[in-house]
Amino acid sequence: MERVLVTGAATWTGGNLIRRLSQRDDMAVFAVDDRSPRIRFDADFRKLSLDGLDLARYILEVDPTMVVHLQSVHRTSEEGRRASSEDRILGSLGLFGAIERLTSIRSVIIKSDTAIYGASPRNPSVLAETTRPQGKPSRHQRDLAEMERFIGEARKVHPETVFTTLRFAPIFGPNVGNSISRYLTLPVVPTLLGFDPRLQFIHDRDAVDALEHAIDNPIDGIFNVAADGQMYLSRMLRLGRRIPQPLPGRMFDTALRAMTRFNVPAPDHLKGLMKHGRVTDTTRMHEDFGFTPTHTCRQTVLCGYERIDTNHDAT
Amino acid sequence: MMQRDLTSLTKRELYGMARDRDISGRSSMSRSELVEALRPPPTEPHEDDNPEVEVVEDDFDVDGIGSVPLPGISPEDRAEARARRTALEDRLSQFVDQSRHCSWTSIEGHPCGLPVLAGTDRCGLHGDGSIADRPIPLTGSLGFSSWPTLWRHLTLATYDPDAFGLDPVVAEMTWSVLNRLYYDYFRVEVEGIENVPSNGGAVLVANHGGAAVPYDGAMLALAVMNEAEPPRRVRVIGTEIFNMLPFVSHLYRKVGAAYAGRDDARELLKRGHLLGVFPEGERGFMKPVWEAYRVGRLGRGGFADLAQDAGVPIVPVAIIGSEEVHPAVMVSKRLAQLVRLIFPEQRVEEIAIALNPIPLPIRWKIRFLPPVEPSGDGEPIDGLEQLERVEDVRRSIQTALDDMLAHRTTAF
Repeated sequence: MERVLVTGAATWTGGNLIRRLSQRDDMAVFAVDDRSPRIRFDADFRKLSLDGLDLARYILEVDPTMVVHLQSVHRTSEEGRRASSEDRILGSLGLFGAIERLTSIRSVIIKSDTAIYGASPRNPSVLAETTRPQGKPSRHQRDLAEMERFIGEARKVHPETVFTTLRFAPIFGPNVGNSISRYLTLPVVPTLLGFDPRLQFIHDRDAVDALEHAIDNPIDGIFNVAADGQMYLSRMLRLGRRIPQPLPGRMFDTALRAMTRFNVPAPDHLKGLMKHGRVTDTTRMHEDFGFTPTHTCRQTVLCGYERIDTNHDAT
Repeated sequence: MMQRDLTSLTKRELYGMARDRDISGRSSMSRSELVEALRPPPTEPHEDDNPEVEVVEDDFDVDGIGSVPLPGISPEDRAEARARRTALEDRLSQFVDQSRHCSWTSIEGHPCGLPVLAGTDRCGLHGDGSIADRPIPLTGSLGFSSWPTLWRHLTLATYDPDAFGLDPVVAEMTWSVLNRLYYDYFRVEVEGIENVPSNGGAVLVANHGGAAVPYDGAMLALAVMNEAEPPRRVRVIGTEIFNMLPFVSHLYRKVGAAYAGRDDARELLKRGHLLGVFPEGERGFMKPVWEAYRVGRLGRGGFADLAQDAGVPIVPVAIIGSEEVHPAVMVSKRLAQLVRLIFPEQRVEEIAIALNPIPLPIRWKIRFLPPVEPSGDGEPIDGLEQLERVEDVRRSIQTALDDMLAHRTTAF
């Protein structure tokens, strides 16, 4: 019997994953988050603060054989809200500290983000897992990079444990409401005048599939997870029948601040994404990780805008 | 004939002609003296006449008094351009099978409806992705008539751009527009197109110029698209400035150019594309007019390394025309400082200032030189060998440029 601990149970992906895992007989799921889950699931849920010793103590108490670390950075950093930098990373620090003390741990799956590559005019057109990001890192990017450094330290202590880092492209689809998808599904989408970034997404179901695949087939390494293909923002909005509102830089900043007021949090790394875009190389995902998303980028976008049936089986 | 025409003109008109020809003492001449002076000179034109004046005299048309005698584009040029464009259309239409149509349908139910590529079952957009390397007009014809069809695919996003952001539809639209510039305005002549391999990767290394707009990148790409058999796309790579400029940032990718990062260049060659490189970079681009056609240092010679690693040949390309289109009269470091002050991300060292806002109608010549094959063993080359190879390439471009300039009678 596998004992799986999932952090970030209140996130969209977390909720969907736990719901899927709790239906399986071969594992007991322990869900953790610091707020109540949005998606109902039938699993052992503990509400505790993710940034501190509580989480570490709980992990030692549960003694999991597998940890799925979805809330790898504090959600303030993802949403672009203020929190001191210590708070934002303490959760991961505590978690990896606890993992170092566990004896029966078999594999650790960490959800990272392709935002770790940042957005810079000097970045290559296609970002591979080994690419060194260029330019000044955003706060979110620094947090992600620091979190991935913790993995290296934990790996030294547990050389036999499998550490799978999945760098997800922005998750988009009918069952998520993360900040980027909420921004892109606004009726009028503010965009940067003169910039048409190339974007990549992963369907929410494919994201959960990828996590489940990692649970079933533990493979050590870092993998970009994104749907096949890519999309220019202008084309994406046209597919979604959304109206783009091109704004020059300063006004774009103002629009993002206004959006935050109306409860559409705009992450601080959003501007870079809207300027330079981000496309990752998914060869490793296909070949080494052995996972192929069922939706292409175009299908993901259409699903996200509910232009085609949500449960459409991609051909 | 000439004499009679001249005598039928008024003094005022004659005076205007004299002014155009810069005849000295014209202001004090009588009408008959003017007629005398305006007679076609029996002597040979002076050897030190600059080419511009020569063309003005060639094109001099007595009936056209009052119109500005533009250097360059004559009716013959226009007729030839039209003939070349038609020939290209005919040649390209063979690659498309108009009798069958692509069966692809999008998941929202939009049919494709484009004719298929000859010998396949799919159109260029929904086929095996060969469109990224072989630019074949999607509807079979290159021109405005196909734009409504193309526009439909553009707005419905029925296809994905390639990994570097090439949008075949936007690229084709741009191609048909820029062909006007290529055939009608710059009247590009191409030599040695057979030196461009018809399959697999190669690095095309060319001299750089332009001062204001990098026309040479576009013309190099168009030369291979228009003249090579079968047509191929050259993926020209540019500096990060292209990524920073509004509007340019996405358009340059959509038409098939890419960012000049090492990873990008390597990946392009790995996929078997032709890579267009201007290793002189910004230095070459901002060349003042008195240094035109003197090939500078070819960057750090990274292209030799790249070509060796990928096992592809280097094709040196000599381009005549690009360095005179916007003759830079001045190169300013101060202005570059100012630009850096406003756009701190920009890495500009100096800025060339050209006085003409529209490009001069220079007659371009592009010569593709015999390829330099990678050394046989496929081993990485050492620094010295790399330097030698870069110097070889530089010298061959310079020699070709000198040769083409020596045989040129007129720039226009």
